[in-house]
Amino acid sequence: MKLDTTGLESLPTLIAPQNDVVGDLSAAPSFDLPNSNDFDGFVKEAIQMVKPAKGTTTLAFIFKEGVMVAADSRASMGGYISSQSVKKIIEINPYMLGTMAGGAADCQFWHRNLGIKCRLHELANKRRISVTGASKLLANILYSYRGMGLSVGTMIAGWDETGPGLYYVDSEGGRLKGTRFSVGSGSPYAYGVLDNGYRYDLSVEEAAELARRAIYHATFRDGASGGVASVYYVGPNGWKKLSGDDVGELHYHYYPVTPSTVEQEMVEATGA
Amino acid sequence: MTKKHANWSPYDNNGGSCVAIAGADYCVIAADTRMSTGYNILTRDYSKISQLADKAVMASSGFQADVKALQKALSAKHLIYQHQHNKQMSCPAMAQLLSNTLYYKRFFPYYAFNVLGGLDNEGKGCVFTYDAVGSYERVGYSAQGSGSTLIIPFLDNQLKSPSPLLLPAKDAVTPLSETEAIDLVKTVFASATERDIYTGDKVEIVILNASGMRREYMELRKD
Amino acid sequence: MENNQRLKLKVYTSLSFPLSSLPRQTPISSPFSHFSPVQYKRVPLGFAKMASSVVDLPPKGGFSFDLCRRNEMLEKKGLKSPTFLKTGTTIVGLVFQDGVILGADTRATEGPIVADKNCEKIHYMAPNIYCCGAGTAADTEAVTDMVSSQLQLHRYHTGRESRVVTALTFLKKHLFNYQGHVSAALVLGGVDITGPHLHTIYPHGSTDTLPFATMGSGSLAAMSVFESKYKESLSRDEGIKIVVEAICAGIFNDLGSGSNVDVCVITKGHKEYLRNHLLPNPRTYVNPKGFTFPKKTEVLLTKITPLKEKVEVIEGDAMEE
Repeated sequence: MKLDTTGLESLPTLIAPQNDVVGDLSAAPSFDLPNSNDFDGFVKEAIQMVKPAKGTTTLAFIFKEGVMVAADSRASMGGYISSQSVKKIIEINPYMLGTMAGGAADCQFWHRNLGIKCRLHELANKRRISVTGASKLLANILYSYRGMGLSVGTMIAGWDETGPGLYYVDSEGGRLKGTRFSVGSGSPYAYGVLDNGYRYDLSVEEAAELARRAIYHATFRDGASGGVASVYYVGPNGWKKLSGDDVGELHYHYYPVTPSTVEQEMVEATGA
Repeated sequence: MTKKHANWSPYDNNGGSCVAIAGADYCVIAADTRMSTGYNILTRDYSKISQLADKAVMASSGFQADVKALQKALSAKHLIYQHQHNKQMSCPAMAQLLSNTLYYKRFFPYYAFNVLGGLDNEGKGCVFTYDAVGSYERVGYSAQGSGSTLIIPFLDNQLKSPSPLLLPAKDAVTPLSETEAIDLVKTVFASATERDIYTGDKVEIVILNASGMRREYMELRKD
Repeated sequence: MENNQRLKLKVYTSLSFPLSSLPRQTPISSPFSHFSPVQYKRVPLGFAKMASSVVDLPPKGGFSFDLCRRNEMLEKKGLKSPTFLKTGTTIVGLVFQDGVILGADTRATEGPIVADKNCEKIHYMAPNIYCCGAGTAADTEAVTDMVSSQLQLHRYHTGRESRVVTALTFLKKHLFNYQGHVSAALVLGGVDITGPHLHTIYPHGSTDTLPFATMGSGSLAAMSVFESKYKESLSRDEGIKIVVEAICAGIFNDLGSGSNVDVCVITKGHKEYLRNHLLPNPRTYVNPKGFTFPKKTEVLLTKITPLKEKVEVIEGDAMEE
């Protein structure tokens, strides 16, 4: 049993797939489905066995100068940290970024797929795809897999002919246009800092600092977030990575260790 | 529709550990050769390592039937690639092919935990680490399989380098020479075998460098 | 010292039947049992005193099944039960011409992880009786310890050497009472006045009397050696050789068993506990150069702050006695 995904194909298949080994391999990519009469239960159990990564903090917001995008870099499987150096901000093209939250493989694969589609759109129409269009492509794909257990929570941020754009798209089929989003297990903490410090007329430096601070505070309270806080800025000239800081070091940056005030007199230790 | 069996699973776990370390101009890929199920050893001499291209070697643990199916699918795809492009696939390309191959089984995953090691287009060692449904990442070293939880903390302690995401970037090359890396791999397997019942018998070490590929074996505990 | 002993005897006799103290009542809960034998509370006391005292007697320790029904319900709802240290084990024993030889491997596992590379699975029961244990480590140790002390008391009471059947009866009574929830599979061996004896005891309390026996996850591997090589009236050295071979079969072919071979030879009036008789699994590789740990603990402060006492002790009246 196979799910027909020819709609996802980047190019119409020139040769009709044949029913032999080579035909099977060169056929349109499609998803094998288990021969189970309890599909939901099977997928749930199978995914439980292979334990995908979850737990993230990502955020993005629109301000006067463009869009600021930031994320942590931790991947965890239950209590185990499987990586501290995940690239959760995907560079779709020089003017557009996507963020990853949810299943690591789901996010990576469908962002890669989106990247291909955006490039093909560019080649076909001689102009870059709009953020609205790109986010809708992704939302439509995810919607077609609704209920099959995909886990994706993403933001598509970029600069197109209409200026800065920001959309939230998830695997339940949701697609929201907005100016301020945070996604992942650490998002409540990030929203706390973000909503408190957000103004539309922030400068790039202020906005970058706000994004970094929000990610740091989310990693501080959320065990599933951590690693490096990366901050990207998308302006009229495309995206640029502004910073990447180890959150451990950010902690000492935000809360420097000051020698505790001692009431009694200090005596220089002898021999030290 | 297949008949429903109450306690039947299409998967088994055949155990085993895989390790890969990338160096400046080499790559070491290693795996033990024990294959087991439950408390039984099925064979003491089964290679988990497969060479997918001249400069791409994969080590896989998990369910042997799925691992074998995956290896065959990849080598078939690589053969077609060679016919179409008249060249060997590069390691980073193979890495993405592996990711896609795993993801196309997203709803009926290969029960396989893989590390892919090789040399990139500049001749630098590269290691890619995967989850079972195709999420992957380029790293400096990696361990997968039943002994990975014992091995990873030790490798972290010995080899951890600054994150590649840092800006300004910091130098992140594994500071080991080739012989030191092989020594480390041997130690790591001897240690994992002490505490993991599914790892043992023998470790197969594949070394890739500019002069080609070579294999080494070392005996491990057999209990 | 003497007083102590008398006290012991006193408790002993007040129960009028010394051995009836076995099935205890109350507190420590056993998380995984599935039934609740309420009627147990009355059984031993029937021997002890009049019916009126049944309610008043303080709890004497032991297992309670009060929470079993609750745990069963929780498990159905998806509660993950804690794991126990299991000795996925190979244990064996055989009778040879002058006595009994027991053997065991030394690996203890917790799931796929080796928890103890060199544990002791041959437990002391009496000077002339030893017992190998397989199953949950805590259960095998607890049950052999309990029975061992009962045997000791029994020897004080009778002034005679313990018999293997006595130990066997204690063990099987205990295990049967707990309906398999005490997961101990045992190989019991010893030499007493009636000669050498070897028994196996299953977790539910059934027993076998055999010339050679194996237990644990490696029992099949070990039994294959016994079935092909065992014969009657083996010499001591032949016996040890076969036992070691059987244990090695378990060590190498069963993942639940491993590390070293322990052997215990019991003959009339004599025993020999050969701890780590064979070490067939040395570590295969040690890095000749050792390892360095580049980052040492950083020195953050070299100042010492003497803390002055903040609480002052005021002279006053000494507290009344």
